[in-house]
Amino acid sequence: MIQAAAFHFVLLTSEGKGTLIKLVYFSRKDSSLESVGNGVQVEEVGLVTSSKKYPILDGKLHFAKFQTSKINECLDFIESKLLHGSCCSHQEISDKKQLLIKATGGGAYKYADLFREKFGIRLDKEDEMDSLVAGANFLLKLRICAVPREAFTYMEGQKDFVQIDASDLFPYLLVSIGSGVSMIKVDGDGKFELVSGTSLGGGTLLGMGMLLTNCQSFDEFLELSHKGDNRNIDMLVRDIYGVTGYSKLGLSATTIASSFGKVSFDNKELKDYKKEDLARSLLRMISNNVAQIAYMNAGHGQLKRIIFGGFFTRGHEYIMETISDGVQYWSKGKAKAMFLRHEGFLGALGAFKSYEKHGLGSLMGHHLTEQSPVASPR
Amino acid sequence: MADLIKNPVDGIKPEIEDRTSTKTEERETEMAPPAAGSSIHRSGSRPQLDLSGAAIQGNFEERDPTILLPNQSDDISHLALDIGGSLIKLVYFSRHENKSAEDKRKRSMKQRFGISNGNRRSYPILGGRLHFVKFETAKINECLDFIKSKQLHCGGMVARCWPTDALSNENVVVKATGGGAYKFTDLFKDRLGVSLDKEDEMDCLVAGANFLLKAIRHEAFTHMEGQKEFVQIDQNDLFPYLLVNIGSGVSMIKVDGDGKFERVSGTNVGGGTYWGLGKLLTQCKSFDELLELSQRGDNRTIDMLVGDIYGGMDYSKIGLSASTIASSFGKTISENKELEDYRPEDISLSLLRMISYNIGQIAYLNALRFGLKRIFFGGFFIRGHAYTMDTISFAVQFWSKGDAKAMFLRHEGFLGALGAFMSYEKHGLDDVMVHQLVERFPMGAPYVGGKIHGPPLGDLNEKISWMEKFVQKGTEIIAPVPMIPPGTTGLGGFEVPLSRGDTLRSDASSLNVGVLHLVPTLDVFPLLADSKMYEPNTIDLSDHGELEYWLTVLSEHLPDLVDKAVASEGGTDDAKRRGDAFSRAFSAHLARLMEEPAAYGKLGLANLLELREECLREFQFNDAYRSIKQRENEASLAVLPDLLMELDSMSEEDKLFTLIEGVLAANIFDWGSRACVDLYHKGTIIEIYRMSRKKMQRPWRVDDFDMFKERMLGLSGKKPPPHKRALLFVDNSGADVVLGMLPLARELLRRGTEVVLVANSLPALNDVTAMELPDIVAEAAKNCDILRRAAEAGGLLVDAMINVQESSKEELPSVPLMVVENGCGSPCIDLRQVSSEVAAAAKDADLVILEGMGRAIHTNFNAKFKCDALKLAMVKNQRLAEKLLKGNIYDCVCRFEPAS
Repeated sequence: MIQAAAFHFVLLTSEGKGTLIKLVYFSRKDSSLESVGNGVQVEEVGLVTSSKKYPILDGKLHFAKFQTSKINECLDFIESKLLHGSCCSHQEISDKKQLLIKATGGGAYKYADLFREKFGIRLDKEDEMDSLVAGANFLLKLRICAVPREAFTYMEGQKDFVQIDASDLFPYLLVSIGSGVSMIKVDGDGKFELVSGTSLGGGTLLGMGMLLTNCQSFDEFLELSHKGDNRNIDMLVRDIYGVTGYSKLGLSATTIASSFGKVSFDNKELKDYKKEDLARSLLRMISNNVAQIAYMNAGHGQLKRIIFGGFFTRGHEYIMETISDGVQYWSKGKAKAMFLRHEGFLGALGAFKSYEKHGLGSLMGHHLTEQSPVASPR
Repeated sequence: MADLIKNPVDGIKPEIEDRTSTKTEERETEMAPPAAGSSIHRSGSRPQLDLSGAAIQGNFEERDPTILLPNQSDDISHLALDIGGSLIKLVYFSRHENKSAEDKRKRSMKQRFGISNGNRRSYPILGGRLHFVKFETAKINECLDFIKSKQLHCGGMVARCWPTDALSNENVVVKATGGGAYKFTDLFKDRLGVSLDKEDEMDCLVAGANFLLKAIRHEAFTHMEGQKEFVQIDQNDLFPYLLVNIGSGVSMIKVDGDGKFERVSGTNVGGGTYWGLGKLLTQCKSFDELLELSQRGDNRTIDMLVGDIYGGMDYSKIGLSASTIASSFGKTISENKELEDYRPEDISLSLLRMISYNIGQIAYLNALRFGLKRIFFGGFFIRGHAYTMDTISFAVQFWSKGDAKAMFLRHEGFLGALGAFMSYEKHGLDDVMVHQLVERFPMGAPYVGGKIHGPPLGDLNEKISWMEKFVQKGTEIIAPVPMIPPGTTGLGGFEVPLSRGDTLRSDASSLNVGVLHLVPTLDVFPLLADSKMYEPNTIDLSDHGELEYWLTVLSEHLPDLVDKAVASEGGTDDAKRRGDAFSRAFSAHLARLMEEPAAYGKLGLANLLELREECLREFQFNDAYRSIKQRENEASLAVLPDLLMELDSMSEEDKLFTLIEGVLAANIFDWGSRACVDLYHKGTIIEIYRMSRKKMQRPWRVDDFDMFKERMLGLSGKKPPPHKRALLFVDNSGADVVLGMLPLARELLRRGTEVVLVANSLPALNDVTAMELPDIVAEAAKNCDILRRAAEAGGLLVDAMINVQESSKEELPSVPLMVVENGCGSPCIDLRQVSSEVAAAAKDADLVILEGMGRAIHTNFNAKFKCDALKLAMVKNQRLAEKLLKGNIYDCVCRFEPAS
């Protein structure tokens, strides 16, 4: 039974075809997930431990995502959950015509009418940036079973979880890599500023990737990139200055001087290049660029941490690795990129947190445990 | 070669080019009549006229000119290369060598002005021209041929023994930078027998940028929403700055001073990325084609905008407008669309915006980090492309919230080559001052805008036939610079801009880079009250309406000018051909300016008028008004004695008034004014003068006569001391100078004031030149003792026909009347660039009189001087009279400003 839920609509394309709906919902401890609809990915299930001292009920925090093209599934899913329960926790209204669900993201505006007219659900719109930050702050302060399980670095295929002292968390730079990239300086709960961003983001990576390689999905693109060699595409410093590099300027021979620069001198066409190489070059270009701009916006080390989140980094190890490489390169090894395990759900989580008096705001890390999904579609 | 004629002071045919000259060039020399000499030095046969550049030239004469090349045996060349992946940039220097002998009068003038070889600072450099040429790297053979044909690879001495044998080139070293400096080492050795001496790329870039920013006025400009604005940078306040060089990749360099810099950042997303990805995604064959495509693109079909995400709304809370790009290429994430479904135009634009924006952002972040005030963007990626510059500027503006501005350089492609050139030791260019450089835009300039063309047109004949070829083809000439010389690849590469009015067209937005004339003898006029704040032009041509008006005026005046020009050369078929070509060439310049007002940098009316004179000289019309001037001088000299007699019979007060009135009335004789040209057809010169005089009614439109009178004659009988020395900047030949300025000069002389007549070095319209003045003075002196004695004292009559020295022995010594050239060949005058003689003469002067529309109204109307200044002119243009003075045509200006 869903006690509370929040959506995060993340548009991947303007036509809405690639929009993702991210759902975070809370259910009572006793209402285990009996069934999960086909194709519904419920990513993680967080368990809220019971504690009589707190007004909240024991229960679980669920994370799920849907393709907008399968919006009906999403609605069915919610409906089925709602039918199991009787109401949405604090609304106390059984009439689903007036059901109010917190929502954020560009799609919250776009789909507002659809949800109201077709499903009778009112979307209560929360600011996306607010939600992102709230979600990130929530996760970063969270400690699950006293073992750091949320923030981690990723270098050379190695994931290292990082323990962050909640009292020493701020300020940090939150880099959200969606279609575009937002860079938010976070100074405290509810205290943040969008300081920068770049239009070279996930949308660029996937969009250009699709054009260059004909791949059909992001996973396919990443798979290609993993097998590629960008040296066939990029112009390296050594291609210009020879194997000794340009040491006077501190440029090593293998530094990329110009992404896709080799192509500009070849007399070849698109089909003459290996898709894998193109994908790899593109991935490195975007990751490196995001890392550079992020590092510069973090004041060249003035902000303690740079946390990368957003749909396009989530779980994609190769992206995390290239971003980490980028931060390493630009900071000359002084800074490290950090990632969040629940990064794809920051917005939804933040929107969820905006329910007043749900009590989650006062949740301490040690109140949470984690369980593997009961029913994972994958 | 036609450039030769341009340089007022150093217009001597360089010896190097003499030796290597082709038949055509020799013919050209013959065509140039010696009397009308393109330069004053050349008129050595008439020493009484040869006033120019004595001090400086003297230095060269007495020293071995090769002092410029201390390592003669190494045969240092005056050529430097930047061999990039796609373009080869060449910078070369052609020298002038002074062969003129110094005559007695010049020496005395020098002594008088306190110029001596000993106490004047020595000039480490010779005059000459700095040329900028580009070739495609793929066509490196064209470049080699060009170097060979110009013998550029033969350093100073070797060139003199042309034809050179291979052996003598054995140890010739040419400075080169860029990646290709390594790649093509052998090719240069094999083909030209020269060794490329590789210079560090970054060193060169910085040296080139520093030179340009310090030595050239209005080198830097901002570019916002299609509008260029030239920026004047104080050379003392240049450092530190951020130099962003956008080549294949991007380097960001913090420059702290000459040779002091650090590469602080960069990005691998640069020009190579744009071109590489563009090639893959659009099948374009060239970088320019890709840029061209972007002109017609609409990136909204490719990029995801903020509005796409937020349902068409702005995300105003965080300051994002609906049209901000949220995700470059974000819209191409689509299951059922393939590359072919997108327009290449849109893709190109989206790529361009993505990359430019990104570079702008990273550059700004770096400037912020180091607290740098200025960011200069250069490199091949920009190519004067309006959209690229706009996007970068927008990014910098956006991220800095308006605090920082992106700036661009007119010579942006040549930073590396120029820097390599600077790396020759003792080239002397380090010491070049802004006022010593004059930029010219000859038809033969090899480089126009962002386009790359073959070798520049060399001689006059090529230029003419190039012009004629266009006529045959029925093509409208819209660019003043030939694209491809006839006989090579034809006219295939010539493209006519597609549409007017679109400010974001790449071809129209590209800037011309002219030939830099280095004239070491130019100086800043020392009597300017504030030379830093001085702006010569009164009318701001950046106002489009104003520019359009003046372009129309010039173009309407053109047929009459061509008639005069052709007649001045005897009306031969050859003259007609040249006249035709001149007319087309100048029209092309005008058309180009109409299209792109900033094409030649910041342009004032003075520059525009000078461009016309330059263009005339380029087609070897050295003095289009020669016969008219002669006729008018004779007619005026004939009535001068009567006028002087009349004046002498007047009271002091009446005389002064009549003199000033006379100057104003005589100023009507101006062949540059359309209204006056009409008058000429209606009556004789004397009739017009009388009529003009009758019309004069005080108060004049600007009337400070009483103030001037008070300074001259004093109040209530108390006589103020006369001025010590007056500089009279004269205007037109004929009545203007003879009946207007000479009587005024005579009066000043009579009152004990030394008079220096300052006249043009080269002819411009019917303006009197410094070469012609001594003859006129000598003629006038025949009937006037005051003038004769003063002219004698001033050394003007050294070998003139009248010889009265014996009888003059009993007379009291007179103050001298002198003539100096002003260093320019324009109807206007930019007082930041005058001849060193004027500068020297000014040292003891306490009165400056500027006469005529060009020098007192179009320019210098608002100029402030350290000494008393009198500006006299008749306004012979209705619009100017209305705009500037709220008056009418033929209104007079008598502006007197006491020393400030």
